[in-house]
Amino acid sequence: MPAISVQDLSKRFGSVLAVDGINFSVEPGEVVGFLGPNGAGKTTTMRMLTGYLPPSNGSVQIAGHDTFSDGLAARKAIGYLPETPPLHPEMSVSGYLRYVAAIKGMPRAARKPAVSRAIARCGLADVAGRVISTLSKGYRQRIGLAQAIVHDPPVLVLDEPSVGLDPIQIREIRGLIEELTAPLGAPSSARESGVDRQTVILSTHILSEVEAICDRVILIDRGVVALDESLASLTAGGRRLEEVFSQVIAGDRPPAGAAS
Amino acid sequence: MKGVLPVATRELQSFFVSPVAYVVLTLWSILAGSFFLSSLLGFLASQEQTRQLAAVGHVSQTNLSDGLVLPFIGAMWIVMLFLLPAVTMGLFASEKSNGTEELLLTSPLTGWDIVLGKFCAGAAFAAIMIAIVAFFPALLFAYGDPEIGKIASGLLALFLVSLAYVSVGAFASSLTRNQLIAFMITLVTLLVLGMLMPFIVDAGALGGSGEPGAVASAARWVATGHHAERLLTGLVDTSDVAYFAIITTAFLVLTKTAVESVRWR
Ligand SMILES: Nc1ncnc2c1ncn2[C@@H]1O[C@H](COP(=O)(O)OP(=O)(O)OP(=O)(O)O)[C@@H](O)[C@H]1O
Ligand SMILES: [Mg+2]
Repeated sequence: MPAISVQDLSKRFGSVLAVDGINFSVEPGEVVGFLGPNGAGKTTTMRMLTGYLPPSNGSVQIAGHDTFSDGLAARKAIGYLPETPPLHPEMSVSGYLRYVAAIKGMPRAARKPAVSRAIARCGLADVAGRVISTLSKGYRQRIGLAQAIVHDPPVLVLDEPSVGLDPIQIREIRGLIEELTAPLGAPSSARESGVDRQTVILSTHILSEVEAICDRVILIDRGVVALDESLASLTAGGRRLEEVFSQVIAGDRPPAGAAS
Repeated sequence: MKGVLPVATRELQSFFVSPVAYVVLTLWSILAGSFFLSSLLGFLASQEQTRQLAAVGHVSQTNLSDGLVLPFIGAMWIVMLFLLPAVTMGLFASEKSNGTEELLLTSPLTGWDIVLGKFCAGAAFAAIMIAIVAFFPALLFAYGDPEIGKIASGLLALFLVSLAYVSVGAFASSLTRNQLIAFMITLVTLLVLGMLMPFIVDAGALGGSGEPGAVASAARWVATGHHAERLLTGLVDTSDVAYFAIITTAFLVLTKTAVESVRWR
């Protein structure tokens, strides 16, 4: 069963067709880079994957649960970092993460260790007790990432996770995503392979990031899938992703509308 | 339903880091103190009169609750009408303007989890306001002995009314990302429902044939002020209690619809 499965997904905002009948599916454990120029429809697609926006047409299944008819189960399986981190500025970092762990349905006893782990993983230990409104943009982005992973969801939807991060933190986040999606080390024999690996779909404009961590690239342009291929085959023969990207996007492309 | 608690707790905490809650509670306490004092002075003056007419001697029970406490609670009802919308205005509007709505709606919470969580936080805040009001009549027990039953039922009535107001406020807040607009929608709705509507109905009845029609009596039933007045004067009638239960529930259902319409718009 695919971790994410998308059929004929469309979204219309008035006269703007932001997403125009896209299809793809993502297997458990895959790390998919979701690319496209500004205004291509990446954020809109991710909002439909997470059940925040209703599709105008088509459907989405997360771990087999339809986001419309079985929304609760689908949402339970997702960790989501929206384009703007959804933070409560008046809360402390750890208080906020405890709240997120609770609304994600974690049992009470599991919340505290989960929060500590997310804090450690996202490099937030130094600011755990601080009030969010006093923190810098990069730290807010890390908190956004921490809230997405705090409940250990099987599917991660990350909208531009590395925006605003410093180079060291970008590398650490890459490491984190690799760690999340690598087959879990120690008691691996006890787990069914593939099942416990997290699936990640992340949008980004940093192509080197995609080259570093993604298994596969989905490129969308003006709401349609322009390319869906594994990274290995794309970069075979030493081609750079940047060349591929501009080749696909180039051509009869009029200036894109203002993105959100 | 497990999601109600975290939503409610966070909301209640956020009340107390915002200045609005402290401003509301301060104004509320000051107004409660002054209304209580003026009710007390008015009551003492009338006692003095009574004493002069016929030497009664002792402060009688019924007078204390009917002559002092219930008018005081009635005055606080009007204050509540203006202050509670400031508490509820942020319930949903702030989630929208913060961008946290996206977190709330993509979490495995049901529409009822969210709406009841917010409602419970508002109700808890209203309970704090009622407790402040209750403090003043409690002072009376040092002097005479007022009827505890009547006072308690007056306070309970005020709480019941406040639940309906929280529900209306939650609905208004779910319609907009702007807290000021949410405040004004709530206030206008409460004023129309509570004061204007009975007034218009009465005026219409006077101007017309004098016989209130079915529409007029229906409008009178929908009007909040009517039922609140009766409850607050100690006439605990199940139909008035039912009225507030219905209003509260109706606006909660509307709120849930509005919240979920964001998800499925
Ligand atoms: N709420 C909305 N109402 C109207 N139009 C919208 C709305 N959200 C997005 N759009 C439009 O849909 C299109 C796709 O926007 P989207 O935010 O999905 O792009 P994106 O690929 O995430 O871009 P970026 O790389 O800039 O983040 C744009 O033309 C945008 O203007
Ligand atoms: Mg975007």
